[in-house]
Amino acid sequence: MADGSPPPGADPVGPAPAVRPFLVTAGRVADTASGRTMPVETQVVATAAGLGALAGLSFEQHDIVAACRRPQSLAELAARLRLHLNVVRVLAEDLRAAGQLTVHVPDVAATHDASVLRRVIDGLRSIPDSRGVLRDTD
Amino acid sequence: MTPTEPLVHGAAAAQTAERPPLPVKMVIAGGFGVGKTTSVGSISEIEPLTTEASITEVAAGVDDLTHTPRKTTTTVAMDFGCLTIDPTLKLYLFGTPGQERFGFMWDDIVEGAVGGLVIVDTRRLDDCYAAVDYFEHKGIPFAVAINAFDGKVEHTLDEVRWALDVSEGVPLVVFDARERGSVRDALLVVLELALARTEG
Repeated sequence: MADGSPPPGADPVGPAPAVRPFLVTAGRVADTASGRTMPVETQVVATAAGLGALAGLSFEQHDIVAACRRPQSLAELAARLRLHLNVVRVLAEDLRAAGQLTVHVPDVAATHDASVLRRVIDGLRSIPDSRGVLRDTD
Repeated sequence: MTPTEPLVHGAAAAQTAERPPLPVKMVIAGGFGVGKTTSVGSISEIEPLTTEASITEVAAGVDDLTHTPRKTTTTVAMDFGCLTIDPTLKLYLFGTPGQERFGFMWDDIVEGAVGGLVIVDTRRLDDCYAAVDYFEHKGIPFAVAINAFDGKVEHTLDEVRWALDVSEGVPLVVFDARERGSVRDALLVVLELALARTEG
């Protein structure tokens, strides 16, 4: 499965950058004095202001806001834009502070709630043994 | 922060109003080549994605006279996939990366997970000790899933349980990482365990 071929619909922006993973964050790393790092499944969505300002955003910031037209997890963003997870964490926080993204850190009490677990269980149970012909690749 | 007048129109504006789903995270752990990514791929609605993440490796250095564990932050490739339960709920499956001869600090990836599945190849049982220890230490509900390569399992379940020294409370299942229904059932065992814990 991990054969390196790009997943359909993921639309990667090019080969992984070789040298500058944290250059785009001006050397900042993700966990700072602000406390806990955002979980990898944290959902990120572009705001109308962010999409409106797209033309004025540069490189990684632009790509992140553009990708977040639909809700994405930090992990999906990092994978699709070929950025280190911690780079995405830093940039997403910057863009949130600028009002261009909303960042939804999952509430642990909510994800561990019995009613939520039951919904996941019921949802999984309804999955057939093998795949149907259609796959949601976008 | 949110402007009342959207600066974009039409479909794009509607999409920005989309509320993201609640993400529920599960972790798939185990040694190299044991079937973690295959499992994720069997159940994920997207092809497994790979991203670079940081883990802290705690080297078990016998040469270290100070008995201070040497910790190094390493960038590793992490595979993951997801499954939309409904528009408000999404299951994420993360494979834990790392080198088996080291201790792990996967907290950066695992924090907040509802449960874990430790995949075992019975020909290389010791590859999964680190993962079993990690979940036990963290108190995260987990099950051990023996990947039946070519339908063959080298040891009985009792032998595996004895070898791994896992308590009776840890479910042990045999599954096939290539089969969607088989991966689904293994994940359900973990979720049922997590649910029982919230109710117990």
